Amino acid sequence: MKELDLLKKDWQKSDNTFVQVSENDIYIMIHKRSSSIVKWILIISILEVLLWTLLSLFSNSDDYLREIKHVELIPYFDALTYVNYAVILIFIYQFYKNYILISTTTSTKKLMQDILKTRCTVQYYVWYNLGMIVIYTIIAFTVAFIYNPQMEVLKEKIASNSNVMIITVGVLFLTSLLFFGLFWLFYRVVYGILLRKLFINYKELKKIDL
Amino acid sequence: MSKSLEQSFVKQLQENQNIIHKICRLYTNDDDAHKDLFQEITIQLWKAFPKFRGDSKFSTWAYRVALNTAITLYRKTKRSINTVEFEGRQHFLNDVEYDYEEEEQLKLMYKAVYQLNDIEKALIFMYLEDKDYHEISETLGISEVNARVKMNRIKGKLKKILNPLGI
Repeated sequence: MKELDLLKKDWQKSDNTFVQVSENDIYIMIHKRSSSIVKWILIISILEVLLWTLLSLFSNSDDYLREIKHVELIPYFDALTYVNYAVILIFIYQFYKNYILISTTTSTKKLMQDILKTRCTVQYYVWYNLGMIVIYTIIAFTVAFIYNPQMEVLKEKIASNSNVMIITVGVLFLTSLLFFGLFWLFYRVVYGILLRKLFINYKELKKIDL
Repeated sequence: MSKSLEQSFVKQLQENQNIIHKICRLYTNDDDAHKDLFQEITIQLWKAFPKFRGDSKFSTWAYRVALNTAITLYRKTKRSINTVEFEGRQHFLNDVEYDYEEEEQLKLMYKAVYQLNDIEKALIFMYLEDKDYHEISETLGISEVNARVKMNRIKGKLKKILNPLGI
């Protein structure tokens, strides 16, 4: 392709066509902040982990159990809380491990994979939390249903009309679905904007090796 | 990081800055975006510099980091020039058999390269920089055979952009 040869010749002698950046300018540049997607992923991830960790720290079931006079259930809920802490620590460790692996000196494909892996860790963490919320809701509902005296009315209704049970479960199910839907949408928007280019390029790169 | 490391980095980058400028020219299309990308690449190079051991040339090491930054880390979306005026193209088609001005041909060629996607641009960049297929494949993380195949496809694509009617 003779046009490409022409371009190559021109390209290789184009060095003196650029306005040169001075050493002083470079000094200034290296002290400026990066605006790379990795930085944004880090910021958003820290915020997410903080938010979910704080939420799980502040949700206290002990008072409720005392209120309905079933303190014997507290150890089970405490055990669940400790498991939760362990999981948080494992996630933070995994995230850190993946994050420090991200390096611009590896191949483009590896760099993209490492970024996506780091991103995935946080995503799993958020899904884990959402899952836990659903599990907690089910447990809370069951505990309330069995032990809370205020639930007697509902129990009687269910006994007289089996449709009430279906409606109750249906409402719970739809609420969780709505909850998941909203989060899914939020993720699509935030990471859609942030990672769109990366996904396109990653797909393009993978296509070459197919 | 130590002062001497900083000095050594700044000096080497200043001397080898054209390679970064070339990548910026390929991936951006106005002065502001060029400067912005240059700055991000500089930051990324500086961050990675402690790992640079000097067993390869600074420029060889730097272009990989620069390409990775342009393709993967740089966030600002650039508007790509997709509008090659039809008249210009027609003009080229009519006159190609005659002795055409090199200047004009180059302009069209640059425009065609701008229409390639980010990955294709990276391959073209390395081709123009005379990198061999082994290095191209290692830089992008693809196999050498497929790098060759892809390069041939890109040449075909460029030909098609320059001469869409295949005349």
